[in-house]
Amino acid sequence: MTAQSAAAPGAAAPKPPAQPGRWKGRALTGALMLPATLWYVVLLVAPILIVLVFSFGKRSRTGGYTPGFSFDNYASALNTADPFLTSLFLSVVGTALCLLIGLPLAYFIATRATKRKALLIVLLVIPFWTSFLIRTYAWLLILGPDGVAGFIGDLTGNATFRILGTEPGVLLGLVYGYLPLMIFPLYVTLERMDRTLVEASKDLGASRWATFRQITLPITLPGLITGSILVFIPMMGEYVIPQLLGYGQVYTIGNLLYSRFLEARNWPSGSALGVGLILIMLVVVTVYVWFTNRGRTVRDVSVV
Amino acid sequence: MTDRDRELEAMLARMSRAKVSRRGFLAGTGLAGLSAFIAACSGTSATASPTSATPSQAPAASAAAPSGEASAAASVRPSAQAVTETEGTLLMYNWADYVDPNNIEKFKTDFKVDTFTYDVYDSNEELLTKLQGGATGQWDIGAPTAEFVEAMVEGSFIEKLDWSKLPNAAYIDPQFQNFYKGDKADLNNYHLPKDWGTTGIALRTKDVQEDVKTWKDFFDVAPKYSGRIVVVNSPGDVFVAPLKALGYSLNSTDPGELGKARELLMGLAPHVLALDSNTYQDKLADEEAVMGLVWTGGIDDLRSKPETADTKYVIPEDGTLYWMDTWVIFKDPPHPNSAYAFLNFIQTPDIQAQETVTNRYATANLEAAKLVPQDLLNNPTIFVPADVLASGKLEGAQDVSTDPLRVQIWEEFSSSIGKK
Repeated sequence: MTAQSAAAPGAAAPKPPAQPGRWKGRALTGALMLPATLWYVVLLVAPILIVLVFSFGKRSRTGGYTPGFSFDNYASALNTADPFLTSLFLSVVGTALCLLIGLPLAYFIATRATKRKALLIVLLVIPFWTSFLIRTYAWLLILGPDGVAGFIGDLTGNATFRILGTEPGVLLGLVYGYLPLMIFPLYVTLERMDRTLVEASKDLGASRWATFRQITLPITLPGLITGSILVFIPMMGEYVIPQLLGYGQVYTIGNLLYSRFLEARNWPSGSALGVGLILIMLVVVTVYVWFTNRGRTVRDVSVV
Repeated sequence: MTDRDRELEAMLARMSRAKVSRRGFLAGTGLAGLSAFIAACSGTSATASPTSATPSQAPAASAAAPSGEASAAASVRPSAQAVTETEGTLLMYNWADYVDPNNIEKFKTDFKVDTFTYDVYDSNEELLTKLQGGATGQWDIGAPTAEFVEAMVEGSFIEKLDWSKLPNAAYIDPQFQNFYKGDKADLNNYHLPKDWGTTGIALRTKDVQEDVKTWKDFFDVAPKYSGRIVVVNSPGDVFVAPLKALGYSLNSTDPGELGKARELLMGLAPHVLALDSNTYQDKLADEEAVMGLVWTGGIDDLRSKPETADTKYVIPEDGTLYWMDTWVIFKDPPHPNSAYAFLNFIQTPDIQAQETVTNRYATANLEAAKLVPQDLLNNPTIFVPADVLASGKLEGAQDVSTDPLRVQIWEEFSSSIGKK
C-alpha cells in the first residue's frame, strides 16, 4: 500500500510554485470558455429569468407586460390541464416509438452494417438538408385525401378515413421529425461498445435476451438517456407539427402558448404557462433519468 | 417534375405570398428562408410575385406624377404640395411582397433614391414588439393593419402625418381614411390607407347545394357538412361569424352578446375539420373541406382552375369584417422627405392601380380604382360590390382580440375542434 500511495500522483503534494505557463493555461481556458458561457448566460439563463419575472406581472393595456407581483397567472395556468396532458401523452408515446424504432436501427448500423455504415449514416442526415417546415408540409400531401389516407379509404371502403387531423397522424409527424435525434446518441454509444463483452456473455451461456438486457442495454444507457431527452423535450413544446398535421384538432400546450402570446398578447399569462411547461419537463426528465439509472447503480455495486 | 412537386411548390409559393402568410401562424418560422430555399430549388426568384401582372393588364402607366397633378383631383387639399427632394434613402418595413417591384424601381429613378431597403415582418405583433423594444428610428415607413394604429400612437411609435405634403391623399375614399370613429377620430391623422379586403364564406358549390348567403346560413348548414368545414386560425375573423349572425357588432365585448356568440361557436366546433390559415385553399381544392370561413387569399386561384371553378366566395349579407393595411411614418424617421415622397408617389392613381393589379387587393384610392381592369373590380375576392360597400354592412376591426372573455371563448373553441 505504501508503495502504491508513493507512486500515486501527489494529490496532497505541495503545490508547485505558480508558473507563468500555468497562468497562461488558465487564461486560455477562460478565453475558450467565454463564448459558450456568454451564449448560455445571454440566450438561456437571461431569457428564463425574464420569463420568470414576466410570469408574476400583469398584461399592459395594449399587450405586453406591466410589472407587478401576483400569482393570478399561475392560478389560471392550473385551469389548463388538458393541453398539458395532450402534449405529455404525445411526447411520451412519441419518445417510446422513437426508441422502439431507433434502437434496433442504431444497433444494426453500429454492429452489422460494416461496409454500408457510412452510407446509412449519410442517409440519416440527408433529411436535414431540407427545411423542417417543408418536410412537414410534404406530409400534408403524402397523408392527405389524395395520398395514403385516400388509398386506405378506397381499400377499406371507408370514404371518410383520415390520418391528418388525428393523434396518430401527429405522432407520425413527431416521430419522423425527431427520430434521427434518438438514433445518433444511441449509435455513438453502441459503436464504442466493447464487442468482446457480448462474446464473453455468450461464451458463459447467457441467452440473447439476457445478453441484451445485462450487457448491451446498460452500456447503451447514456445514449438512451441523451436520445430520449433530446426527443422528449422538443416534442413536449412542439407547435408546428400538431398545428399542420393535426389540423388544430390536436390541441397541445404549444397551441395554447401561441394563443396566449400572439393572439391574446398576454405575455405574463403565457410566461406562467411557459414556466409550468419547464417545470413539467424538469420533473419528467429527472424521474426518467433517476428511474433508468437506478438499476445501473445497483449493478455497478454488485460488480464490485 | 411530378405533379406532387408542383403541388408542393405551389403551396409554398402561396405561403410566401402576402396576405395568407402574413396573417397566418408562420409568423416567426422563417418564411424568408423558406422562400429562398424554393428559389434555390426552382431557379426562379421567390420574391417575384406569383400573381405578377402581365404588362398588358397594367393601366397605361404614364409618367408618375410626383407633384400630384394627376387628373380629376376630386378635392385636392388646398395648398398641399408634394415633396420632390428626398434624402436619397428610404427604409421600409412591410409585409413580404407587398409593393410592386416595378413601382419601387420607378420611385428610385424619379426621386433619385439610391438606397431603398425593404425589411419584412410576418405579423403586426412582430412589428409592435420591435417598436416596443425601442426600434424607432430604424425605419421610415411601414404598413400595419389599421386596428394596430391605436397602440402605435399610444406608444408614440408613429408620426402624425403632415397632410400638406400628401396631395394624393385626396383620392382616398373617406370611409377608409376615417377608419377610427368618434373620440378616436384623431387617430386617422396618423395613417394613409393602403389595401383592404374582406373575411367571408367559401363554398364548393358542387358539394354544397344550399345557397349560403349569410353567416346565419353558414351555422345552419354546418351540421350537414360536418367534418368538411375549414376555418382560419384567427380569433378576430372567427368571432365575426357568430356576432354578425346574431346582428351584433363584430367588435363586441359585451358579455351577454359574447355569451350567445360562444353558444354558436361551440355548436360549430365539432363540425370543423381544421383551423388552418395557410393551406385552407388546398383543403377546399381537394374537397376535403367544402365550406369555409376564410380570407380571400388563394380563392381566386381556385376559381380560375377548371376542376375547382365551382368555388364561390360569398360576402355574407348579414355583414362582415373588412381589414385594412395602412401606411404610417415611424417616429423620428431618418429620411422624412423620402417617406412623404413615397407615400404620395404610391397614391398616384396610375401607380396605385398597378399596385392593385400586382397585389390583388382592393385599393382605397378612388381615382386609382377607375384605372383598375374591370375583371378585377368585379371579382368579389378583391373588390366588394358598390351596393354592399354603400350598405354599411362592412365593419372595420378594432383591437379587441385581447379582451379576456374573447380569449377565453377562443381557447375553448379552438381546443374543441372536431371533438364530438
